Amino acid sequence: MNLAALEIKHSRQVAAAICMRGMRRIKSRPVLIVPTIVMPVVLVISFTGAFSSLTRIEGYGTSNIYNWMAPYGALQGAVFAGLGSVGSSADDLERGFFDRLLLTPGSRFPLLVGTVGYSACRALIPTTAVFLFSLTLGMTVPGGLLGVISLYIATSFLSVVFCLIGLVILYKLKTQRSLMIMQVIAFGALFISVGQVPQSFMEGWLKVAARYNPITNVLELSRQGFLGDVAWSTTWPGLLALTIMTLVSGALAWRGLKRLAP
Amino acid sequence: MNENRSGFRLAGIQTLELTQRSLQNEFRQWVVILPGLIFPLMMAAVYSSQFGRTLGLPGFPKVDSFLDFILPGSILQAVSFGATTAGTALALDIEDGFFDRLLVSPVSRVPILLGRLGGAAVIAAGKAVILILIFLACGARIRSGLGGVVVVILIAALLVLAIGGLAQSMAIKTGSQEAVGATFPLIFVTIFMSSAFFPTALMDGWYRALAENNPITWTVDPMRRLVIEGWSTTDVLQALGVPLLISVVTISLAIRSLQGMLKST
Repeated sequence: MNLAALEIKHSRQVAAAICMRGMRRIKSRPVLIVPTIVMPVVLVISFTGAFSSLTRIEGYGTSNIYNWMAPYGALQGAVFAGLGSVGSSADDLERGFFDRLLLTPGSRFPLLVGTVGYSACRALIPTTAVFLFSLTLGMTVPGGLLGVISLYIATSFLSVVFCLIGLVILYKLKTQRSLMIMQVIAFGALFISVGQVPQSFMEGWLKVAARYNPITNVLELSRQGFLGDVAWSTTWPGLLALTIMTLVSGALAWRGLKRLAP
Repeated sequence: MNENRSGFRLAGIQTLELTQRSLQNEFRQWVVILPGLIFPLMMAAVYSSQFGRTLGLPGFPKVDSFLDFILPGSILQAVSFGATTAGTALALDIEDGFFDRLLVSPVSRVPILLGRLGGAAVIAAGKAVILILIFLACGARIRSGLGGVVVVILIAALLVLAIGGLAQSMAIKTGSQEAVGATFPLIFVTIFMSSAFFPTALMDGWYRALAENNPITWTVDPMRRLVIEGWSTTDVLQALGVPLLISVVTISLAIRSLQGMLKST
């Protein structure tokens, strides 16, 4: 085996070990899994309960509030799964474990890939929880299996995007408290979208902002199978938005990591 | 008797000193305070722009704009950010060993907790002032006048004590910033399951029952009536009394957790 192949193999092992360590960490500290599972489910309960009367207004898009809010709740959960993995990295930074990780020979890239992989795996948990919970409460999936796949693709990739954005901020501020800033960015990005109401309900600046917010495309990708059939015209803008956000945030996070640990 | 009095006096001075330290810490990292202001403002701006059509639904209180309706909810939201910070800051003290140093110093135990909460309460009051000014500039009206404004600011300070006491209790039990920080979304949801952002009259079934029996609703409803209807002594007493009572309970819990921790070490 030549040197390059050995380095790739080693990088893969480091990334996988970091990812597995994150999952084991969840298992060993159940308090961390509570917000990952409970929070998105409770968000679905909150949104459907508080805003159930929205379906009484003409033009809402569905008469079943769960079909509208469940994908939104799943995306919220995925975003928090992404930020949760950043929280683990912040913990490593503050406790000095990150310094030990830096002692691993080779490129720093697997450190980033491992954290991102952990985030994508972690996102599967809230998505499944929200999906099953909403099904039992009356959600329907007219789009069938393709609709469910669209939901999982959207949540996993959005989790990766917010993990990377969180890492950009963490590598800059180097403190656990930077999570608060990330939470605001995450909530903000999700709120200024078609999360709770369709664009036709919005007025003024919000209508324009939601139109150009890439999260709107991701939401439409994840929600399409719950409002009707899955269509390519709704799928590709979501995939494109996810790809661009991943590439941009990934490049920024990589730059941040290189500055933190040259 | 005199010993008791001087003990209380000393505890008061220590609480003030630690409040000052807490405030210095907060202002040193002022960027961390900003989300507590930006997020509620953003939410108010979004909801005002997307829920305009709901004002016509039967059961929605008579308001000039959604902005008037959401003002108390926004203040509550701002306060919840600072409240969890009181817990995460205490957890940080535990993690970095400053807490242990405080314990070996001749400082009473209770001021260690109250100092952090005091700092959070001052910041909550400041945030409430800023939010009210911004809401007024954007066209909101507080019909109970200056008296109502003062009451709303006091409620903000009391609410931070109520939530902060709980966050501190968790900080002592877990000793982890990450664990305390992770509870923030749950506090957000508890606020959501109340009348903070939408009237309970437009909710259905068990969710409505839950929202109507949420202590946050018992605080927000009279607070909102002060904003959209006008001064009422009954509303003032209810809006101040509920968070005061919860504060007593949660701070007692935090003190008990601290005593439990000290006994076990």
